[in-house]
Amino acid sequence: MSRTFVARAALGLLAVGMLCLPAFVTGYVVYIANITLVYIVLALGMHILTGEAGQFALSHAASYGIGIYTAAILNKFAWGVFPLPILAGGLVAGVLGLLIGLVALRMRDIYLALATFAFGQAMQWVFLNWKSVTGGPNGTEIHPTSLFGIEILNDKQAYLLVLALTAALVYATLLLSRSRLGSALRAVRESEVAALAVGVDVRGVKLVAFVLSGVYAGLAGGVFTLFSTFIGPDSLGFQTTIFVLTMVVVGGLGSVTGAISGAVIMSLSSEMLRSALSYQEIIYGALLMGFMMYASGGILDLARRLWRRGSLPANV
Amino acid sequence: MNFGTAVVFLEQGIATGVVTGGVYALLAISIVSIFRATGVANFAVGEIFMAGAYIALYLLAIVKVSAWIAIPVTIVAVFVGSAAFQLGVLRTVHKSGGPINLVIATLGLSYLLKGIVRQTGFGETPRSFPSLVPAKPIMFGMAHLTLLDVAILAAAMLIMAGYFLVFGYTRLGRAMRAVGMNQRAAQLVGVNIGRMNTLIWGLSGALSAAAALLIAPKLLVTADMGTVGIMGFAAAIIGGFSSFPGAIIGGFVIGIAENLVGLFIASNAIAVTPFVMIISVLVLRPQGLFGGPQEIKKV
Repeated sequence: MSRTFVARAALGLLAVGMLCLPAFVTGYVVYIANITLVYIVLALGMHILTGEAGQFALSHAASYGIGIYTAAILNKFAWGVFPLPILAGGLVAGVLGLLIGLVALRMRDIYLALATFAFGQAMQWVFLNWKSVTGGPNGTEIHPTSLFGIEILNDKQAYLLVLALTAALVYATLLLSRSRLGSALRAVRESEVAALAVGVDVRGVKLVAFVLSGVYAGLAGGVFTLFSTFIGPDSLGFQTTIFVLTMVVVGGLGSVTGAISGAVIMSLSSEMLRSALSYQEIIYGALLMGFMMYASGGILDLARRLWRRGSLPANV
Repeated sequence: MNFGTAVVFLEQGIATGVVTGGVYALLAISIVSIFRATGVANFAVGEIFMAGAYIALYLLAIVKVSAWIAIPVTIVAVFVGSAAFQLGVLRTVHKSGGPINLVIATLGLSYLLKGIVRQTGFGETPRSFPSLVPAKPIMFGMAHLTLLDVAILAAAMLIMAGYFLVFGYTRLGRAMRAVGMNQRAAQLVGVNIGRMNTLIWGLSGALSAAAALLIAPKLLVTADMGTVGIMGFAAAIIGGFSSFPGAIIGGFVIGIAENLVGLFIASNAIAVTPFVMIISVLVLRPQGLFGGPQEIKKV
């Protein structure tokens, strides 16, 4: 059997397993699956901007929040017909991404990180204080989205939609990274000057990365409102951005499979540690430091290196 | 608000702002020192500051030593901790990664410190710091301050003066400035870059610890008090992010702005002030309010 056949068979089995999941497990497990899928979309958005295009921005949670609140507003005023709220969330967050990108064209590395960090914090402040939309510090209820006139009320009902949307976005990300645009993004990451020299429209490409990253985060927010009934500003702050960053770092900056595996590992482990904030902080902190020190290529790269070391003589 | 009240508010805002501004300036110098020498934005500055406050609180409230022992022990401990982070973590990160990887490592440190302090449980009941100087009221024109405020400002000024004397007039200071200008050239004239970077991290940590010791009697000591680090960042950015005089002026600007926003606009707008200032300075004048034209690095 060829390797591609094995890989395809495994992927097929995984797909069947994922599709059948709600039939076998409790609502809580489906909730974890849903939230993990949302984190995969968030991680993909950060992967495009930071992993592919090399732009280190720290405002991801703000775009996510914008997506959630946009979708929640549509749901509240009877526009909550699938997939309208989700698309609106992606659109508004995409426009925001464009604005951030226009400003970001003037900045690099650390200045970009600082400006987007400040922007993310300022947006969280808006979420905290714009009480008529967000309910202020107490948060707000999210009304259900409806599909063909039926309201989606729980995790199990939402699951297949969440899975389908996530799968579509994973596929889109893979297509993107194999396209000319994907090569252009990586060229900008490696050297803007070299990219310019071979005819890449550096400004345009960067803007596209910011818009796409915003759209992904906004769509993730919209998808979140499919199965969730509440959102508060506490979960839309810097720690969420750091959480997604940890996923991308653990999985390996710059690879789609890395972003996905990082998202799965981190959201499952955070669910286990949900009650202990201090342990979460210690683990995220240690992971960020440890991976930067010994495995900046991520966990898959680390596994590959350990595997090779194990199968080759020590002096190679 | 009539004119008379506005003037009183203005004076009060400026007086209080200058006091906290001195402390923000120390944090800003701590950030700028590291940035100039190594090109790293230390996102853990607030948590190093918080760790300093905790060590001091632990020594004063649990071990119950006198302040004259607690202060130097805290500063030395944070110096050693920061230097160890540079030596143990950042050097390894630097071998395989660029500036972004280094920044991610400092983000990791900030979360690690926050989690450790929270885990000790020592932070669950927020405590205030015993202060050395009584909070006896003093009037400056129409503004109310306390003796403690004056002591904080005086100590902050003294620390800054000491730092500049070392920086400007000693061999060590000259070596540190050389590292900030051009690492390779400094190495050629015999400066040990690695050791110098470790030393700069240590000194920068000690400055953050000093800032914590000064402001802690006025703040509640909690695991989340590291958010004050943002004020340091705002101050550093206003000053151009690589200039020491800029960082000091930036500290005072942020301190005063924060107070005036609280008095004249709304108290819940204080929290967003540093972010708005960071964004507007970076967007409109990335070289800071006092910096010259930006240097362009050759490729």
